[in-house]
Amino acid sequence: MKPKLNLAVYWGAACGGCCVSVLDVHEKLFTIVEHANLVFWPIALDTKYKDVEQMPDGFIDLTLYNGAVRNSENEHLAKLLRKKSKILVAYGSCAHMGGIPGLANLFNKEEIFKRVYFESESTINPDQVLPQPHYKVSEGELEIPEFYNDVRTLAQVVDVDYYLPGCPPQTERLVEVFLAIVNGEQLPPKGSVIGAKDKTQCDECKRKKSDNKLVKEFKRPWQIKDDGETCFLEQGVICCGPATRSGCGVRCVEGNAPCRGCYGPPPEVADPGAKMLSAIATMIDSNDPNEIQKAIDTVVDPVGTFYRYSIPFSILRRKLL
Amino acid sequence: MKELRIGVYVCHCGTNIAAMVDVEKLAKELSEVKNVIVARDYKYMCSDPGQDLIIKDIQEHKLNRIVVAACSPRMHEVTFRKALEKAGLNPYYLEMANIREQCSWVHTNRNEATIKAKDLILAAIKRVKWHEPLDKRSVPINEATLIIGGGISGISAALELANAGKKVYLVEKSNKLGGIMNQIDLTFPFLNSARQILDRKLSEVVNHPNIEIFLNTEIGEIFGYIGNFETQINGNKIVFGNIIVATGLKPFDASRIPEYGYGKLPDVITSLEFENMLKSGDIKTKSGKQPQSIAIIHCVGSRNEKYNVYCSRVCCLTALKYINQINSVLPETSIFDIYADMRTFGKYCEEFYSSTSRKNVTFLVFDQKNELPKIREASSSDKCNLIINFREKLSGEIIEVPADMVILMVGMEAHEAAKEVAHKVGVSMCGNNFYIERHPKLDPVATTTDGVYVVGTCQAPKDIPDSISQAKAAAARILATIEAKTVDVEVTTAFINEDLCCGCQTCIKVCPYSAISFDAVKKVSIVNEVLCKGCGTCAAACPTGAAKAKHFTDVQILSQIEGLFSYA
Repeated sequence: MKPKLNLAVYWGAACGGCCVSVLDVHEKLFTIVEHANLVFWPIALDTKYKDVEQMPDGFIDLTLYNGAVRNSENEHLAKLLRKKSKILVAYGSCAHMGGIPGLANLFNKEEIFKRVYFESESTINPDQVLPQPHYKVSEGELEIPEFYNDVRTLAQVVDVDYYLPGCPPQTERLVEVFLAIVNGEQLPPKGSVIGAKDKTQCDECKRKKSDNKLVKEFKRPWQIKDDGETCFLEQGVICCGPATRSGCGVRCVEGNAPCRGCYGPPPEVADPGAKMLSAIATMIDSNDPNEIQKAIDTVVDPVGTFYRYSIPFSILRRKLL
Repeated sequence: MKELRIGVYVCHCGTNIAAMVDVEKLAKELSEVKNVIVARDYKYMCSDPGQDLIIKDIQEHKLNRIVVAACSPRMHEVTFRKALEKAGLNPYYLEMANIREQCSWVHTNRNEATIKAKDLILAAIKRVKWHEPLDKRSVPINEATLIIGGGISGISAALELANAGKKVYLVEKSNKLGGIMNQIDLTFPFLNSARQILDRKLSEVVNHPNIEIFLNTEIGEIFGYIGNFETQINGNKIVFGNIIVATGLKPFDASRIPEYGYGKLPDVITSLEFENMLKSGDIKTKSGKQPQSIAIIHCVGSRNEKYNVYCSRVCCLTALKYINQINSVLPETSIFDIYADMRTFGKYCEEFYSSTSRKNVTFLVFDQKNELPKIREASSSDKCNLIINFREKLSGEIIEVPADMVILMVGMEAHEAAKEVAHKVGVSMCGNNFYIERHPKLDPVATTTDGVYVVGTCQAPKDIPDSISQAKAAAARILATIEAKTVDVEVTTAFINEDLCCGCQTCIKVCPYSAISFDAVKKVSIVNEVLCKGCGTCAAACPTGAAKAKHFTDVQILSQIEGLFSYA
C-alpha cells in the first residue's frame, strides 16, 4: 500500500464556506481519508498551531489555504504552512484574489475600526475601546493578532504552487485535484490555476447570445422578467461570465442568477474588473454624453460588481485616497 | 524563452538630445541593467554609421532585442526596423524610447530630463522583452479604380488613370458629368471659359475605352480592402483595388442668413445664379431692367461662428472676376464690393486683385464677425431696388449703399451625400463634414483607410487648379500601388485566440473596420487581418483576453508601465 499523504486545510480571513466545501465531499471523505491523514484542519480537528510548528519542514504533502491574509495570524500561518508543505494551494476566491474580505481595501484600518467599534448601529462602546494587539492584565499579557491596513492574497505573502478558484470551489473539482495528486499524475506547471478551465463562462452557458448587446440602462436581476433563455447582458443585467473562468458548471446562471465572477479571470487577463468594465462600456446604446452618463449611473456599486472578489489581486489593489 | 540579450542605443541627435540629456551617463548606467549586453551613445543613430553600429552589435553580441532611445517612433521606427532586418533580426524586436519630442525638447532642467529619459528607456527595456516576431504580409492589387463623383476632380483623376491604361469606374449621382463647373462662366484669374476647359475633358472621358461611366447612380455598399474592393452597380458586381472619393461641394444656402433676405427680396441673388446670368450674357433685375448699381457681399456663410467658421477660399477671387466682367459688359453700372478681408492668395491672384482694384469699383469693408449688413427693399423715393445698411469698418460710419442687384458670395459646404459615402467607403469626417485626410501635410490625399483617397472640395473648399492637383496626386498614388503589384498590409493587427474566445461577440460591434466576424461552427470570433488596422478596440473590449492587439499586448504595456516606475 502506498504511504498516506499528509493533508492540511487552513482558513485565513474567510467565511468558513471553503472549509464547508471540503466537508461537502460527503461520502468521498472516506476516499480522502483512505489516501490521506488530515494533519491540520481547525474547523474539524483540534490540532494546535504549536503541533504544526513541530512538524518537520515539508511534512505536509498538500495544504489547502483558504481565506485572504488580513491579520498577523493569517500571515504567520501562511508562512508556517508554506514551510511545512510540499504543495501549497490557494483554495477559493479569498486566497486566490482577496475575495469578499478584499473589498475592505476600499477603506483603511482607521476607517474600518471607526465604523465597526464606534459607529455601527449595534455598537455600544462608551469607553471608546479599540482592539489592542497586546494588553497587560494581572495574569500576564494578552495577545490578539494585529489587524493590517491591507487585505492581501495568499500569493502576495508566500510562494503559492496552485490556485483553485471559486467562492467556494466546486467540491467535485477538489476531489479531482486531490485524486490527481494521490495518483501521482503529471501536475501542471507551478503557478497554474487548477480545477477550472481556460475559457470563460459564456463558453459553457446555454443562454442565447448575439452581437446585439446594446442597452440604454443596466438593471438588477429583480428588475427584469428573465425569460430564462436570453443572455443576461442582452437583458441589461450585468453578468461577469465573459470575464470569468468556467469550471463551476455555470452554477449561478443555471440557477437564473448572473455570474458574479468568483472563479476569477481567464489566463491572459491581469485585471478582471477592468476587463469586464470595458466590455460593459461597449454595451451602452448611445453616443450622447448625457445619455451615456445616465446609463453608467444605473450601474449600482460598480466596484462591488466588477471587483467583487478581486480588489487585492487586481492592478488597483486598494483605494489610496 | 531564450536568454534575453538587449542592445540599448542612446542618440545625441546632434545637440537636440545631448544638450538636455546626459547621454553618456545614461549609456554607462544602462549597461548595468539586467539583460542589457551593450549600451552605447552615438551622435546620430539614424545615420548610416549609426545603423551599422546596431547591425554590427547584433551580429557580434548575438543581440535579440534592440532599444533605440532617440526621436519619436513616427520619425525613425521604420529606419531602425530595417536595420534589425538587415542584421537578420525580426524588425519587431525593436522598441524606441522617445527622449527627444517627449523629453529633451520639452524640458529645461538637464538633471530632471536625464532622469526622465532613463525612466523612458527602462520602460522600453521592460517592454521589449515581451516583443514577438511579426511577419510582413502583402496582398495583390486589382488594377481598376472606382471614382465616386464626376465633377472636375473625378474626371481629372479618371483621365490620369485611364491614360495610364488602367480601368476606371466613374460613378455620378446626377444625370451629367462636370459637377459644379457646369455652372461657372469664366475662371479666375485669367478669365478663361470654364466651359471650354470642361468640354475638352468631358469628350475625352466619354470616349475613353478604359472609363466606364455610370450616371444617375448612387454607390451601394462596398466590401473588401485595399487591392480587393467590390460593390454592386445596377445589379452587376464590379471589382477594384482603389477608391477615389470626389463627391464635391454644396453651395451654402443663403436663405439661412436672415439679414440678407435671400428668397424674399427678388434681386438678392447668389453667386451661382449670377454665373448663370453671365453665361447667358443677360444681366437683368427681376423686373427685366439693366441694373444701375450692383453690390457684391463676401463671406456669405463663411468665416462666421453662426454658419461656417472656415474660409471657402474661392469667393474673393470670384467676386473680383465679377467686377471685371460687369465692368466690361455694363461699363456704366456702379459696383460696390463689400468684403470682410480680401484673400487673394495663389499664383497671379494678388496681381488680379491689384489690376481689378484700379477698375471702376468701390470697395467697402464690413464686420462679418459681429455685424452683418442688412438688406432691405428700397422705398419708392429711392432710385434703386435695394438698400444695404451696415457699419463700414474703415470709416466706422453706418452707411447705406444703393443697389439694384446684390450678389451673395456663397461659401462651400460638403455635399449632402458626403456622410453616406463616408460610411460606405470607411473614411472619417471633421466636424464640418469635409473628409479627413490621413495627414494634413505629409499625406493630404490619402485617408486612414488604405486604398481610399479624397480629392477636390469634398476634402475642403478649394479652387479648380487645387482640385485637379489633388486628383492627379491621388491617381499617381494609385498608379504607384498598382505598379508595385502587391500592397503590404498592417502587421500589428488584432488576433483572437480561439482557445480563449467564449463567443460573447463583444468585439464584433466595436470594430470600426468591420474586420471581425463570428464563426457559428467554432463559436468564436475571427479577425480578417487584411481589414484590421490594429486599432486595439477589440482587445480593450474583449472580456476574456482572447482578443489581442499584436505588438500592443497587455503584458507589453503593463511591463512598460512597470519599467517606467522602476527607477527612483
